[in-house]
Amino acid sequence: MPIIEVDHLTKEYRLGAMQGLKQTLLNTAARLSGRQVSERPLFKALDDVCFSIEPGEVVGIIGHNGAGKSSLLKMLAKISTPTHGSVKVNGRIAPLIEVGAGFIPDFTGRENVYLNGSIMGLSRKEIDVKFDEIVAFAEMGEFIDTPVKRYSSGMQVKLAFSVATSIDADILIVDEVLAVGDLAFQRKCFDRMEDLIKRQGKTVLLVSHNIRQVERLCSRVILFDKGRILADGEPSPICDHFYEQNDEKVRKDTAAKLSASSKGESSGDVELLSVTFMDAEGTPIERVEFNSDVTLCATFRVGERLVNPIFGLGIHTVDFLYLSTEISENIFENRTYEPGEYVVSLHIRNFPFLPGVYSVRLGINTGELTKNIFYQEGVCNFQVTTANRYRTQSMQEGFVEMKGEWQLKSLA
Amino acid sequence: MLRVATNLYAYRELMITLAWKNIALRYKQAYLGIAWAILKPVTLMLIFTLVKSFVGIESGDIPYPILVFAALMPWTFFQESASDGVNSVVSNTALIKKIYFPREIFPITAVLTKLVELGINFIILAGLMVWYGMMPSAHVLWVPIILAYTMLAALTIAFVGAAINVYFRDMGQALPVLLSLLMYASPVIYPLQLVKDKLLTQQAAGEWSNMLYTLYTINPLAGIIDAFQNVVLRSQPPDLTAMIPGAIMISILLPLSYLYFKRAEAYFADVI
Repeated sequence: MPIIEVDHLTKEYRLGAMQGLKQTLLNTAARLSGRQVSERPLFKALDDVCFSIEPGEVVGIIGHNGAGKSSLLKMLAKISTPTHGSVKVNGRIAPLIEVGAGFIPDFTGRENVYLNGSIMGLSRKEIDVKFDEIVAFAEMGEFIDTPVKRYSSGMQVKLAFSVATSIDADILIVDEVLAVGDLAFQRKCFDRMEDLIKRQGKTVLLVSHNIRQVERLCSRVILFDKGRILADGEPSPICDHFYEQNDEKVRKDTAAKLSASSKGESSGDVELLSVTFMDAEGTPIERVEFNSDVTLCATFRVGERLVNPIFGLGIHTVDFLYLSTEISENIFENRTYEPGEYVVSLHIRNFPFLPGVYSVRLGINTGELTKNIFYQEGVCNFQVTTANRYRTQSMQEGFVEMKGEWQLKSLA
Repeated sequence: MLRVATNLYAYRELMITLAWKNIALRYKQAYLGIAWAILKPVTLMLIFTLVKSFVGIESGDIPYPILVFAALMPWTFFQESASDGVNSVVSNTALIKKIYFPREIFPITAVLTKLVELGINFIILAGLMVWYGMMPSAHVLWVPIILAYTMLAALTIAFVGAAINVYFRDMGQALPVLLSLLMYASPVIYPLQLVKDKLLTQQAAGEWSNMLYTLYTINPLAGIIDAFQNVVLRSQPPDLTAMIPGAIMISILLPLSYLYFKRAEAYFADVI
């Protein structure tokens, strides 16, 4: 028998601000007198979702922000009520929806452990028994009688996680908690989660944006998008699919405008018109195939005579980690370019960057001045893709291919 | 009804913990601590006693200060229970959005919390009784029943008010005003006996007098305050005729108020 059954679940929210008492009364009066009232539009946070979870399954729930993950968890935890459809849960749920819910800043750690424990359904006696273990796990021994408001946020989360996982529930809901605390504590949380899952056979729902974590812990992944289930099944292919979707989104979002944090300067003598990639045949492309030959072209207009220009074309990640830069030193020496439009291109053989989203930076200076006459980061975002399925997970394996050669031989 | 009771029993530990939280939170870092709980009835008692010295209110053979204090105890308990109950859901937004347990626990806990402060006021009352040389009689055994009834009256307002307050914060603003009006419509400053004399004995409003008196006692606080004074100070049983109209009113409104709360509860987390 499934432990969680979700049947045609739909959740609608009204968009816009809540109406005040006055507006509500006016609307009611209008409705009573038979006039039309303008309703605020509805938003479907979850749209006809069906799935069921068997006991002992560890299910990862992934999706972009606003895909409906949190709404779903709220429905499972009975915090919110479905608009249509039903949710059946056959067991005790320990919600970890944002640990530390209900921590009171003025209370000491000890008082909060008792308060939080009883909010989660533990009796005072049960907490007495588990208290030492909770404190020991959170490594909070010496601070337990200090008000929580004096704790660092990491300390609060450690304590909260410790309380929440000590509850003897059948179903554990974990919402983005493993990403907190220092590395050593994260390791400990991870071990405890694995212990709960593997040895105690608990059913776990894990919501995270850390896809690698989801892939490692879960036996099943459900991918949500705009309130619907996009995929449900084996973790690896779904996570890969999600990565690709993610990259695509990053590229689209950032392509339109230059990122606010990108640096740039220009003397005004040079105006950048466009930056594009072309494949080996010379046709412009939006995506670059990993390990293929491509040409990176920058079109620009020169306003004032350009003498001995030096170009720099570099590739960086969307969070501005510079990966590589090519500089055209000594190549365009002793040349003068009259005002007009030019294309500078850089041919790259066996494009070496692994699948993911990257960006381009461009710098131009002249031999006469040490200062850049043009410099701009993030001028063109592009996505690198590949058909090789071992290489689909973007940026998990690093950024660059080493082109190494493997060998395995017997020493005997 | 039975289901409500078993539900509450299952959550008794949580309610005790939350009530303890409310009290501890209120008095933490306050130097005078829980002594603040007596500040309100004691100050009001002093003010009313002062006012009485120029207005002249007939208090019978009971000294006015202790009479008014015995009225202020159930009144303050009712008033603070009702207004804390109304605000209890909104002020626990963090919990409402994060975790589920029956939401009626919030108003109920708010009312239970006030019992502790009421208990402290009993010490003051005992002190006053010693001062005036009054002995309690066996009728004080009525006190728990009267207080339980007061809690039901407070919950009647708290349930519906707390639910409305989630949608319209106007409720939280309007309630203190309404409650302070209700104080003048309750026998706090003056004893119920005055109203009784005017309407029932002197028939001051002519043929409307008896009806007006019933209307006055529909306010459950009229019966409660009078009964409390009777059993504690006058060594008399409660005047049931003054309590019945209010009791009928509560027994009709409390279930309605609770049902409204339960219907609205499903959307608290979405709206709050």
